[in-house]
Amino acid sequence: MNKRAATRWVALATVGICVGALAACAPADDNPGEGDAVTIRWWHNATSDPLQGLWADVAAEFEAANPGVTVEVTGYQNEDLQRTLIPNALQSGDAPDVFQVWPGGEVRAQAEAGYLRDISDDAADLIAEMGGAVKPWEVDGVQYALPFSFGITGIWYNKDMFAQAGIDSPPETLDELIEADDALKAAGITPLAVGAGDLWPAGHWWYQFALNACSVETLQTAIPALDFDDPCWVEAGENLEAFLETEPFNDGFLATPAQTGADSSAGLVANGNVAMEFMGPWNSGVIGSLTPEAEVPAFLGWFPFPTVPGGDGDPTVTMGGGDGFGVSAEAPDIAVELLKYIHSAEVQQRFAETGAGIAAHPAAADSLADPNLQQIASGLAGSSFVQLWLDSALGPEFGNPLNQAIVNIFGGVGTPEDVVTALKDTAAAL
Amino acid sequence: MTHHLTAGPAVFAGPAPAPVQAAPRPAPRRRRAVNGRQWLEIALFAGPALIVFVTFVILPVVLAGVYSLYNWNGLGPLERFIGLDNYARALTDPLFLRAIGNNATILVASVLIQGPLAISIALLLNRKLPGRALIRALIFVPFVLAEVIAGLSWKLLLSPRGGVNALLETVGLGELAQPWLANPDIALWVMFSILTWKYLGFAILLMLAGLQGVPEELHEAAAIDGANWWQIQVRITLPLLAPTIRIWIFLSMIGSLQVFDMVWVTTKGGPVGATNTMAVYLIQYGQGQYGYGSAIAVILFAISLAVALVYQRFAMRRDLAGSVTSGVR
Amino acid sequence: MTTTLKDTPTRTISAGRAVSSRPMRRRAAFDWGRPWVYLVAIVVVLVSVAPVAYVWIGGFRTTPDINADPAGWPNPWSLENYVVVLTSTRFWGSLFSSSLVGLGTTLGVVVLGVMAAFVIARYTFWGRGALYALFAAGLMFPLTVAALPLSVLLRDMGMQGSFLGLIIPQIAFSLPMTIIILVPFLRAIPAELEEAAAIDGASRIGFFWRILLPLSAPGLVTVGVLAFIGSWNAYLLPLLVLAAGGMPQDLWTLPLGAQQFSTQYSADTGAVLAYTSLSMLPALAFFLAVEKRIVGGLTGAVKG
Repeated sequence: MNKRAATRWVALATVGICVGALAACAPADDNPGEGDAVTIRWWHNATSDPLQGLWADVAAEFEAANPGVTVEVTGYQNEDLQRTLIPNALQSGDAPDVFQVWPGGEVRAQAEAGYLRDISDDAADLIAEMGGAVKPWEVDGVQYALPFSFGITGIWYNKDMFAQAGIDSPPETLDELIEADDALKAAGITPLAVGAGDLWPAGHWWYQFALNACSVETLQTAIPALDFDDPCWVEAGENLEAFLETEPFNDGFLATPAQTGADSSAGLVANGNVAMEFMGPWNSGVIGSLTPEAEVPAFLGWFPFPTVPGGDGDPTVTMGGGDGFGVSAEAPDIAVELLKYIHSAEVQQRFAETGAGIAAHPAAADSLADPNLQQIASGLAGSSFVQLWLDSALGPEFGNPLNQAIVNIFGGVGTPEDVVTALKDTAAAL
Repeated sequence: MTHHLTAGPAVFAGPAPAPVQAAPRPAPRRRRAVNGRQWLEIALFAGPALIVFVTFVILPVVLAGVYSLYNWNGLGPLERFIGLDNYARALTDPLFLRAIGNNATILVASVLIQGPLAISIALLLNRKLPGRALIRALIFVPFVLAEVIAGLSWKLLLSPRGGVNALLETVGLGELAQPWLANPDIALWVMFSILTWKYLGFAILLMLAGLQGVPEELHEAAAIDGANWWQIQVRITLPLLAPTIRIWIFLSMIGSLQVFDMVWVTTKGGPVGATNTMAVYLIQYGQGQYGYGSAIAVILFAISLAVALVYQRFAMRRDLAGSVTSGVR
Repeated sequence: MTTTLKDTPTRTISAGRAVSSRPMRRRAAFDWGRPWVYLVAIVVVLVSVAPVAYVWIGGFRTTPDINADPAGWPNPWSLENYVVVLTSTRFWGSLFSSSLVGLGTTLGVVVLGVMAAFVIARYTFWGRGALYALFAAGLMFPLTVAALPLSVLLRDMGMQGSFLGLIIPQIAFSLPMTIIILVPFLRAIPAELEEAAAIDGASRIGFFWRILLPLSAPGLVTVGVLAFIGSWNAYLLPLLVLAAGGMPQDLWTLPLGAQQFSTQYSADTGAVLAYTSLSMLPALAFFLAVEKRIVGGLTGAVKG
């Protein structure tokens, strides 16, 4: 009996401790309150330094400049934030005040459901300063969010390997690219890496071919209208198929991830196993983190995607995207001030200096240290129109069906028509 | 960029009778009228569990089921009722049908391959061995490792320059080295091997536990009668182990239908849909379409339920008779 | 003459259980074939443990090293990752948080589970089959789909951002498995014991408290361990309740804490592996401590 009594006491004590601990960790009062005592919640996707540190500093500075205002800033893992946390928070009525807003289909869906605050007037000056980069976050002429980083996709390449294969200058047309591939293969180098295991890197190839095949009008009207009857969409797939027949990619690309580890497409470039990769502006940082020295390698260069002959596409149209923040419809006015501070020229310059990406604000363009990023920034500046990556532009419903159909072409089990069918079926089910 | 999920119900939860059953026949002595006092006891004892369960599990599940009848992107009000259209769409999508096929393959392979494997290893390990407890613990370790990290590790190990290929080259089998997860023809079997790695330890443990209930006297008696080890196992041990085996088969089937975490982290259903399962399809194609995702979840539930019912009717019935003991021996 | 508990043949219950009033007879060793048995055992253990060892050893490598040579040994051996993890307040905070939530969940699951299983196992009443089926159905629905309505529900009930708000739903999700395991276990306890207890004047509840619970201890330990491991590795619920609910990051549970070593585009693989190795230890320790009882626990259920 003693043992039983002792057990009972231990159990009760444990329960007591637990209850005490639980009570002590009761939720903080998140009522914004009246008057000057306001709490703003800010959610972003930077889970580690340098960017997390930067946002934390920005929050602290804003608090210092605005007494009575508390900023609760938290970074969450990107997929969790985008797919789970923000939609759930919006739906449950508990949206954070300032949060990461993805361009294209997502900002449109959120704006149409009334979750975002119209900042066209409040941030008018800033919008004018930032120029064309803000367009992907605009819905029907109304601005709902602002970008803090924006860049275009291009081909990252290993300058040393190009020299080794006798390629003097980066290819400017698709045929020159194919020639360069042959030269690389002759020198025993795998030309291109693609992270088709993650689906979207393969998707980017098709989007780029679509950009080359479709006229600007088609892009600008067909995508919002979800109308894919134009033959240019099939032509994009056919061009891709033709390119795939030259077998430019690394072995086993169907399972190659984009960024995880040495056998990812970025890792292959970083370790000198592959000469080129078609990827967005973040890639210099990724490749840098995957090298044995953990620095951006000196051999890394960048050139814009080659033009594709034929097709209605405008060669000055580029593809890209970025990240931005928006304000919740129910947020207090001070939240808009925080937004403006985050996107102000000085903070953007600091952002550029961290090397975490290309700042969207033109004034920060000089702060870019990396020559590749400078090239991207000038490519961006020279574009007549920047098309958002199609899976973002169309919306989250399209991402998987579209990318999967594209990967099927890569894997030799799908046709260009299948991609258009996937697009049409998804559109029909909306 | 992985999608993290809860550790949902563990795949192999331990021995259990079929979840849906006719009320088992109790020993006659125990059938008493349930009076008011007993109803109070029942309510008090089962109440808290029932309340918590209904509130946090049943309620959200029912709501999700309701969503399946709508075309809804998860934002804004539920407005567009479309009836069973989501179900029709899922059941006519070749990718989903292929996922069902993959689940069926995993189910059959688990029963036919993992079962005998676990039983054989358990039979061998049932002998007295020094360090038996340690061996048991080490075999169970994969089960303890979080699925997310297990998947990440296997992805690194199976990558072209990963540990598996390196090992093959060291032992001279270099020509077998390949990008294991990139070949659509073998990817499902590679995935199945990973699943076996993760859950075999629990199956072995379960079989070992079942073997503890087989009295040694029977073995000794048979040995005295001249039976060799093999005959003893086949004629005596296995039949007595049959209830355990039947229970494990049931749990294995339900687990195979629900498999998600390991597949998502390792291959995301690729390459080109070779390792797609119903739950993976759900997450991928339910993005921004809550109604569609919910419909797939309901289909998954219905299939699991159907399998459970059929299995219970044909295989488990005799285990339930007399399962309420009126005394053993 | 009254039948007392002492008269009940203990062998009835003890056969096959690790907990018994008589030590189990040692199985006679089969000498022949022993090396073969060891070979099989070693192969199985190696295959089981190798990937886990990979995680552990990976923690001793710097990330650039892992990226340069994914399959190699640490070159050089570096304690940096482990040091970084062990000296971060976030790790210890997460350890505390995971332990608190794990223990709370386990306690709740065992208590509520055994009470409900007792009723299903030992009482005969209208609706018992339906009750059992209801709990079992919880295993068959992919719960991720229910995450959205669950978030809304949690917010409406004000449970966001508190440990209790995490523990109670976790208990709910662990109940199906717990009840399914415990019901046959509790059923296996012979009716004579109950009769004897009744004759001795104990109520059903007295029977529950004094006889049934101690006898089913192995089963309780089994479900406790499974619930603890489930809670320890859980990701979605802690994400929804703690992370999104305003709990400070230092008090997020361990699986959530692994995020701090990745950005949107890259991961500090060495640190992730080190972090995971260290996070695994308490769950493993818990399992090792109670491992013997599990085998006994599963045995009883199977015998039923």
